[in-house]
Amino acid sequence: MSGTLLSVRDLKVSYSVGDGKVDAVDGASFDVPRGSIVGLVGESGCGKTTVARALTRVIADNATITGGQILFDGADIAAIPERQMNALRWRDIAFIPQSAMNSLDPVYTVESQLHEVLRRRGGMSARIARARAEELFKMVGIEKNRLRDYPHQFSGGMRQRVAIALALALNPKLVIADEPVTALDVIVQRQILDQLRGLQAMLGISVILVTHDISVVAYVCDKTVVMYAGRIAEAGPMDAVLTRPSHPYTMGLRNAFPDLKGAASGTLTPIEGAPPNLASPPPGCRFAPRCPFAMEICSKSQPSLREMSPGHAVACHRADEAPVLRELAAKTETWLAEV
Amino acid sequence: MPDVALSRPGLPARMFRSLHLPLNDRFALFGLAVYAVFVLTAIFADQIAPYDPTEILYTPEYDLAADLRPGEDGFILGTTSLGRDIFSQIVHGTRSALLIGITAAFMVALIGSIVGLVSGYFGGWIDAILMRLADIAFGIPFLPFVVVLAAFLEPSIWNVVIAMALVLWRDTARVIRSQVLTLRARSYVDAARVSGSSDLKIIMRHIAPNILPLSFLYGSIAIGWAILTEASISFLGFGDPQSISWGYMLQDAFASQALAKQAYYWFVPPGICIILVVSAGFFITRGYENLLFPKLGR
Amino acid sequence: MPHLKAAASRTLQLALVLWAVVTILFLMFRLMPGNPMAAYIDPTFTAEQQQALMAQFGLDKPLWEQYFIYLGNLLQGELGQSFRYREPVAERIFTLLPNTLILTFSSLIVAYAFGILAGAYLAWRRGSAVEKAAIPLVLTTRAMPEFWLGMVLLAIFSFWLGWFPAGGTRPAGASYGSLWALYTSREFLSYLALPALTLAIYSQGLPLLLMRSNMLDVMKEDFVTMARIKGLSNWTVVVRHAARNALLPVMTSFAIAVGYQLQGNVVVETVFSWPGLGRELVRAVSASDYPLAQGAFLMIAVVVILMNLIADLLYAFLDPRVSHA
Repeated sequence: MSGTLLSVRDLKVSYSVGDGKVDAVDGASFDVPRGSIVGLVGESGCGKTTVARALTRVIADNATITGGQILFDGADIAAIPERQMNALRWRDIAFIPQSAMNSLDPVYTVESQLHEVLRRRGGMSARIARARAEELFKMVGIEKNRLRDYPHQFSGGMRQRVAIALALALNPKLVIADEPVTALDVIVQRQILDQLRGLQAMLGISVILVTHDISVVAYVCDKTVVMYAGRIAEAGPMDAVLTRPSHPYTMGLRNAFPDLKGAASGTLTPIEGAPPNLASPPPGCRFAPRCPFAMEICSKSQPSLREMSPGHAVACHRADEAPVLRELAAKTETWLAEV
Repeated sequence: MPDVALSRPGLPARMFRSLHLPLNDRFALFGLAVYAVFVLTAIFADQIAPYDPTEILYTPEYDLAADLRPGEDGFILGTTSLGRDIFSQIVHGTRSALLIGITAAFMVALIGSIVGLVSGYFGGWIDAILMRLADIAFGIPFLPFVVVLAAFLEPSIWNVVIAMALVLWRDTARVIRSQVLTLRARSYVDAARVSGSSDLKIIMRHIAPNILPLSFLYGSIAIGWAILTEASISFLGFGDPQSISWGYMLQDAFASQALAKQAYYWFVPPGICIILVVSAGFFITRGYENLLFPKLGR
Repeated sequence: MPHLKAAASRTLQLALVLWAVVTILFLMFRLMPGNPMAAYIDPTFTAEQQQALMAQFGLDKPLWEQYFIYLGNLLQGELGQSFRYREPVAERIFTLLPNTLILTFSSLIVAYAFGILAGAYLAWRRGSAVEKAAIPLVLTTRAMPEFWLGMVLLAIFSFWLGWFPAGGTRPAGASYGSLWALYTSREFLSYLALPALTLAIYSQGLPLLLMRSNMLDVMKEDFVTMARIKGLSNWTVVVRHAARNALLPVMTSFAIAVGYQLQGNVVVETVFSWPGLGRELVRAVSASDYPLAQGAFLMIAVVVILMNLIADLLYAFLDPRVSHA
């Protein structure tokens, strides 16, 4: 089965804060092909988690989806009635949260929490649910005798595996993993990511991996979507984006993170400054105030997403000069001189 | 040596701000208004009350003015079975309520704050001893304790104050202690200690001002407790027979068969007054719900 | 088993508290103004009776020796003779204890059932007009003197409407084959109704406010959001996850509330002439029946301390984070 499983078109999500509203996601568009892992990457506050949650339509009380489409298997799930949406939850779209410690209910055993989805959402009998729970634990590599344990009795990495088992319980088509390894140390991160990758390939599902860490994306993803200040900065196949980053923000992110594979990649250079306040975003390109290559036009008009090569799109006025900018961006001085 | 305290806002301003007086909260304003009315009534009780609250009154026909209904012969709230003016008793009741409320609250807040401060600041064996004492105080059933105390002391409203001072400091002390523990870990306290300030100076300058709002808060809750306790004790007959309090009025009404006589005008008003004063305290401190009803069992 | 150790040390700690309370009580009654023997010996007893009691309590011995005799007597359940009833204090107290416990538990069960449901409801309707009106109302019930509430209910439902008897536990002259027969009779329930309602109205505020604020906290937890993302029904999310977690501290507060309630019983039992420990304490103090007053106080203190212990153990038992450490 090939083609596109999920297609997000011009998605807008805003939060009402006090009297005003903040457009946390302001026109995000990207596709998730079937059977692939797509990384959604950006600094905290860039709107990536809001996008992830909007896909489940379980969003904060003060948030609303104000525009755009979320085409899942051809149907716009941003528009369907709540009843229909709820039918999709967990059966088709499952979620792996950042901190499994807080997202598992502390007063029930993990078995009881697995049974909850298997029986209440999957309609399984107690007997079948029991067998399925054991099977799931086997898939994520936990002894089945630990099913009767409570969440606090597991280590951080183990809890994250439990969260993966929970997400896979009903054979979903799409799993959204929101910073699934952020709270873990690097070695455990790799184990969990390897497992996620393996299970994804085995089951042929699609995964959206939300992370602030581009090295995590580089480690497992087929495709990456870089978000900045509520917008898509760059999107494309993993190799293309990593080897030929065309947005200065992506270039900056590349410098700011170590390689998860362990290869030393020289010094780490953070991007100076902070993302803009989304209550009053800058008029032009939102990255312009921090961009070492910003020109006059950048602070005046918004760049739109343009396809540079098949599947590789960038929202930058100077995208055509990307090869030159890449060379400059590799130098630490470029990032220090600015601001 | 930089004076760390100087870089922070002035003491009164800080204290006032940390009180977070909820002036935009209608209920809190209502509470403040109730307090104001009761304080004024207590001050001007002699002018407001038409009669002496203990005076035995007679009708124009020279009969004992007993069990008159409200409005009869000009008695606003009627009279008691002994011919005393209920309205005047209510008015004078504000005095003992405020007197006992404020003194007891002061004692509780003072003792609780000092114990909490010393316990939290010095720690070690001092802390261990004081907190075991607090445990013991938690093991003493409060109202029964006041009753037993009344058995040994002359009937007086001060029994309530003494009992509260002896027992109820425990809640304040625990909260203040934990607050002091977090304050002590702050960097400016460390800085003061490293720069050689004495313990007393550190406490007075850096810690006491920060716990004062909490002491006030617990004090204002204790006002309500004191008034309720005094009412209970007077109702049980262990109050001061010489002073008119709302609790005494209720005991008088109960003992004089006011319930059977359906004399609501006699026993309802004192209860309403108690509710008003006590709930006024709750409303003012409402923003601090968690302190009023702390999570139990942690 | 670290929690067993914690439970044991907590038990020991509360045993020490109990010992301290017992000691304070000893000192209070011995150091009272006047003749210390008055605390134990009714002046109207015969000379022989007085002699016997002097010996039993060691009143002719020095204070420290009296203290150990007192402790020894306590351990054997020997609390002295009531002046008024001319019977052992312990016997008197154990006849009254069930009445007090029935009143306390029936009112608290009603209060907690109501308070938990209403608190969960108010948390769910956060910000609504119902909630805005309810919270001040609940705070007002906490500001009521319990005995006054009892008086008002008594005046309305007993003296005016005549629906319930005015006090006591049974009709005059009625006798029952056993305590069980009394407690299960319809008359007993009609006697129980008003005092239990009074205490319940006062007590519901604690579980209600506690439940509400816990629910509000728990509703913000990640696992509640996850339950929604799982597509679980609203009922499952609110009841199985949010309420179940919010309930933990409320359940432990029940035991503590029993202790508080025993204090309120002192006045409410008096209003309703309910033959319980609290009313007996008041009557004993009024009549200078010191042994009985001491015994009643001690019994109330024992229940309060015991309930504090149960609260701790219950919490450990109900929370898997503690019980499965």
